[in-house]
Amino acid sequence: MTKEQRLKKRHSAERRFRFYGIASICVALLFVLILVNNIFSKGSSAFMKTVIDVEVFYDPELIEIENGASEENIREADFYDITIETLLKSYPAKNLDEENELIDLFTTDAEIEIKKAFLENNNLIGKKINLEITSSDDIDQLHKGNYPRDLPEDRRRISNFQLKIYDTLVENNKINKNFNNYYFNNGDSRDPELAGIGGALVGSFYSIIICLLLAFPVAVLASIYLEEFAPKNKITDFIEININNLAAVPSIVYGLLALQILLATIQLPRSTPLVAGITLALMTLPRIIIPCRASLKAVPPSIREGALAVGASKFQSVFHHVVPLSLPGTLSGTIIGLAQALGETAPLILIGMVAFVVDIPSTPIDPSSSLPVQVYLWSESAERGFVEKTSATIMMLLSFLIVMNFIAVYLRQKFEKRWN
Amino acid sequence: MNEVKIKSNNLNVFYGDKQALFDVNLDLNEKEVTALIGPSGCGKSTFIRCINRMNDVIDICKVTGNIEIDGVEINDENLDVVSLRERVGMVFQKPNPFPKSIYDNISYGPKIHGKGETKSELDEIVERSLKKAALWEEVKDRLDEPGTGLSGGQQQRLCIARAISVNPEVILMDEPCSALDPIATAKIEELIDELKKTYTIVIVTHSMAQAVRVSQKTGFFHLGKLIEVGKTEKIFKNPDNKMTQDYITGRFG
Repeated sequence: MTKEQRLKKRHSAERRFRFYGIASICVALLFVLILVNNIFSKGSSAFMKTVIDVEVFYDPELIEIENGASEENIREADFYDITIETLLKSYPAKNLDEENELIDLFTTDAEIEIKKAFLENNNLIGKKINLEITSSDDIDQLHKGNYPRDLPEDRRRISNFQLKIYDTLVENNKINKNFNNYYFNNGDSRDPELAGIGGALVGSFYSIIICLLLAFPVAVLASIYLEEFAPKNKITDFIEININNLAAVPSIVYGLLALQILLATIQLPRSTPLVAGITLALMTLPRIIIPCRASLKAVPPSIREGALAVGASKFQSVFHHVVPLSLPGTLSGTIIGLAQALGETAPLILIGMVAFVVDIPSTPIDPSSSLPVQVYLWSESAERGFVEKTSATIMMLLSFLIVMNFIAVYLRQKFEKRWN
Repeated sequence: MNEVKIKSNNLNVFYGDKQALFDVNLDLNEKEVTALIGPSGCGKSTFIRCINRMNDVIDICKVTGNIEIDGVEINDENLDVVSLRERVGMVFQKPNPFPKSIYDNISYGPKIHGKGETKSELDEIVERSLKKAALWEEVKDRLDEPGTGLSGGQQQRLCIARAISVNPEVILMDEPCSALDPIATAKIEELIDELKKTYTIVIVTHSMAQAVRVSQKTGFFHLGKLIEVGKTEKIFKNPDNKMTQDYITGRFG
């Protein structure tokens, strides 16, 4: 081969390699784009809800309380008749079937919403106010354009009569979209329009805090001891290998472990953030120890020698110099470990967090859900409303993860020292 | 001739199975500069790291034999290395200031040894140490800036200031100029000349010229053995040993 041929071959090899690199980046970006686009297009509508404007008349003949009644009395009072009366007034229905179909356009919590408006303004008896009542899931999806209208009636959840009411309401500007406060404030529900991630958020928050409190100190102390103080021998080698192995153990195995030990043997309460936090801490421990040791190792030995040479003890050289210098790496490793724990589903399913929990947990020992498990639960539900809720919850989860990773990167870049 | 400060007697050092020093008997005089020369890997650094027990850091390192400072055995398991290192300071090959402020670099040693109780005492120690290290004029206005932001030569003088801040008796220097340019080297050498009035100094160097310039006594190491030791003038002008002669004339190295 002549010199020119070799040169040509070398150049074309470089060009080829550059092309492969760019091509693989493009493929990766394409997948990310598809994922993000898919989630956003499905999920973003969940942050809005459809409301129907109705006129409520707090008819003194239909409620047994008077103006100025105590809050407790109002809460116990029956607003059912007023609710039915109000809903029926929104459109003329001719018979009982039509009346039922009309009422079905509204959420099952319409009575609670009407009562809530009354609670906020205690002297409404005998007065009329305009109120925006949340629509049922079917109308919500129809209004958001997720519901096909051109199917034959027997294959639709919405009857022709309901469609007619809907069209009239739209014509009269009675249907609007509002911010979906239920999505953030409520726990899970069988009715998609009422279901929210409030319970899952609180559950995830408690779990992660417990995970942090348990895993962080143990991981940091273990890594400092192993990296700085432990003698290098067969036993510490064995421990090191096993820490690396533990980080690779599938998370569902930790779930089984927790099921056997925490639930069956110690009898901790099932489905609770407490158990979830302990399980996640077990899982996260090796995943924090590894970056923590790496950042301790990254502190140059000359710093240790410098400290020892002026007469610092081993303990002083480690805690005055090495540990503070390794802190940015340690913290970012911890945050990334926690972000992984936040997205973990399998072990939580095994410890019973997959249960249907309506109430928002007030303590870590109340049954609760968590964000990834909520995604799993809703993704299996048949109602159309849960499709957008699933995607919206994935969006919430992803944004938490992005924020956590961003903090990790920021900490590392901001506080990392240059050695020389 | 000054009095003997450090005395080593049949000193052997092993790194695992490998022996790094063989029966080294070397006396170092008080308030004098002793230079240790020899090809790479001959055990010079290993020897000075025995004097402040820095080899303790290496797990596989084992030291046998005796080293005495002022007649007190220091190669003794029960000896407190912290107080030994307070008396025997060290300056390393590569400048290694702490990634902290210049002030904190100097005040760290006195603080951990309880030598500066109050802020004004510490201020005084910092000023005195930096002046002794001939760095005060250059940094007095920026004591709170990071020590790692100084130039290489300044960093090395900062490390010398850090070593003298705890008021040691001995300063060990492990090729302190090998990472520096000639001007910075000249400053350090000048400084060593000044420091020897107060301290006993042991310097490992690869530069014959430096050994001649700064030291009163020179020891030549080869393959872990102390081949020859004597007055610097004699070693460089008229060595007894053929190997020393070959090394200083550049026939091997």
